[in-house]
Amino acid sequence: MNDFALLISLKKKIVLPLLIIIIGSYFSFILCIAYYPELLTIQISDSTISFGIVFGFYLIILIFFITVLYVHLSNKYIEPLIKKIKS
Amino acid sequence: MNLVAVSLFIVFVLITLFITYWAAKQIKSRDTFYTAGGNITGLQNGLAISGDFMSAASFLGISGLVFATGFDGLIYSIGFLVGWPIVLLLIAEPLRNLGKYTFADVASFRLRQKPIRILSALGSLTTVILYLIAQMVGAGKLIEILFNLPYQFAIYIVGALMIFYVTFGGMIATTWVQIIKAILLLFGATLISFLVLMQFDFNLNLFFNAAIKNHNLSSSIMGPGGLIKDPVSAISLGLALMFGTAGLPHILMRFFTVKDSVQARKSVAYATGFIGYFYILTFIIGFGAIILINGNPSYLNSEGGLIGNNNMAAIHLSHAVGGDVLLGFISAVAFATILAVVSGLTLAGASAISHDIYSNVINPNGANEKREIMVSRIATFTLGIIAIILGIIFESQNIAFMVGLAFAIAASTNFPIIFLSMFWKNLTTHGAFIGGIIGLLTTIILVILSPVVWVDIFNYPAAIFPYKYPALFSMTTTFFFVMIISKLDKSEGGRDEKHKFSDQYRQSLTGVDIKANKKN
Repeated sequence: MNDFALLISLKKKIVLPLLIIIIGSYFSFILCIAYYPELLTIQISDSTISFGIVFGFYLIILIFFITVLYVHLSNKYIEPLIKKIKS
Repeated sequence: MNLVAVSLFIVFVLITLFITYWAAKQIKSRDTFYTAGGNITGLQNGLAISGDFMSAASFLGISGLVFATGFDGLIYSIGFLVGWPIVLLLIAEPLRNLGKYTFADVASFRLRQKPIRILSALGSLTTVILYLIAQMVGAGKLIEILFNLPYQFAIYIVGALMIFYVTFGGMIATTWVQIIKAILLLFGATLISFLVLMQFDFNLNLFFNAAIKNHNLSSSIMGPGGLIKDPVSAISLGLALMFGTAGLPHILMRFFTVKDSVQARKSVAYATGFIGYFYILTFIIGFGAIILINGNPSYLNSEGGLIGNNNMAAIHLSHAVGGDVLLGFISAVAFATILAVVSGLTLAGASAISHDIYSNVINPNGANEKREIMVSRIATFTLGIIAIILGIIFESQNIAFMVGLAFAIAASTNFPIIFLSMFWKNLTTHGAFIGGIIGLLTTIILVILSPVVWVDIFNYPAAIFPYKYPALFSMTTTFFFVMIISKLDKSEGGRDEKHKFSDQYRQSLTGVDIKANKKN
């Protein structure tokens, strides 16, 4: 496999799973609101905090985590390969 | 009038005028005018991007929505945030590697310049103008309440300052105004949230409990309310928010201000962090307002509603926890926010006119850098005047649908064209142009026929198109027509365009400039 073909396959291996996680999590949240709103109002153990709020904050953190992970993976695996192709 | 607010605002204006003067001296070329010469770092650009997103509308609007309904505010925040990984994973790097000043550079990379530039400029300008109207009207109303200035006078101040920043300072001034304002807003929102949570010893359980006790919806504020009722609306709103960000011209333009794709990626990660943190703060601020403002007679009008409206929740809360000083600070920051956001929008609109329409459609042979910058400055001035006029016309109109429509157009016209031009080999000029126009018209028509315009503005009893959010239908329409027409396009030009894809794809991934290499 030449370097460019390797770059494409590597890129796909990194981007696709992350994309699926993000779109999947977000739409499960949105569809949960549409179909099972009562699920999101369930309170977590004895506190007043609902499952919906936990889910929401989890998503905010997940979104940030995915971007950081992607930047990290790109710098580690993609950039050296691009440098090699350029030279 | 709050003295702290006025003096802080004057200090902010003086600083930004100085920045504009400093920036104007550096502007010698198109590069510096449109993109600050590509010298912005990832962190700086991340702050500026988050500044574009943390508009007064989202700061006051989302905290107001949380104040009114609790959990539902979170649905919007997450929707606005989830667009960022999409921008990062799909758009940011190819955009940086293929384009120079506008996203039309990318869309027209291997397609025919004129039709694609016209289509992209149309998509950009509609999005920008809708956004501008929403910001201007919001600005006028806010300043009217905060500073006791007449509505029209407020619009003139915003318009005049914005024209000044962009015309003379270009992207350099716009970026730094945005960065300063982003830092101020993050600081202010952090301070309010801290002071609120301190009253509950940072115990979230006590905090939410107090909110439930003080809201007439009681514990239903902890779960979904009336924002989304049926699955079609849910998916449609979700799609518009998720893919709309990747089609907003003033956001996309920011990726040309950094050196390379490494910095472009970094900017998104920083921006996502800042915006996510900011939305957590607006959520705390909204709940804080439920506890401290709801039922507090000093912030209510004679009918029992908030003075101003629900959008003033964050402002009132700043007074409740920090007195006149914090109120003054937050008011000045809100004003600064409006200025920074309209400047970014205007610059994106002006570059679509000067770079796409003037230099590549009207006068492709006679255009040079100097002339293009001049056209851009005239366009900025004109857009500023248009924004002022529209701001005044729409003063008492219902403009709630406008940001939604802007997102719908961005997701249904700009995004499909950008995405397919980057990743789909078979895209041709015919397909992109005809499909794009069909998509743009479909979005606008569906919004007009939907309840937000047909019922709320035209006062017909029932809407022809039953859903509030069109993206599910308009986005699929655009993709369908663009792809079908491109596939059916057997013209020689079309075949040539498909053939050029592999070179473009290589450049989009590696950043190696193919055209420059061939010239050498």
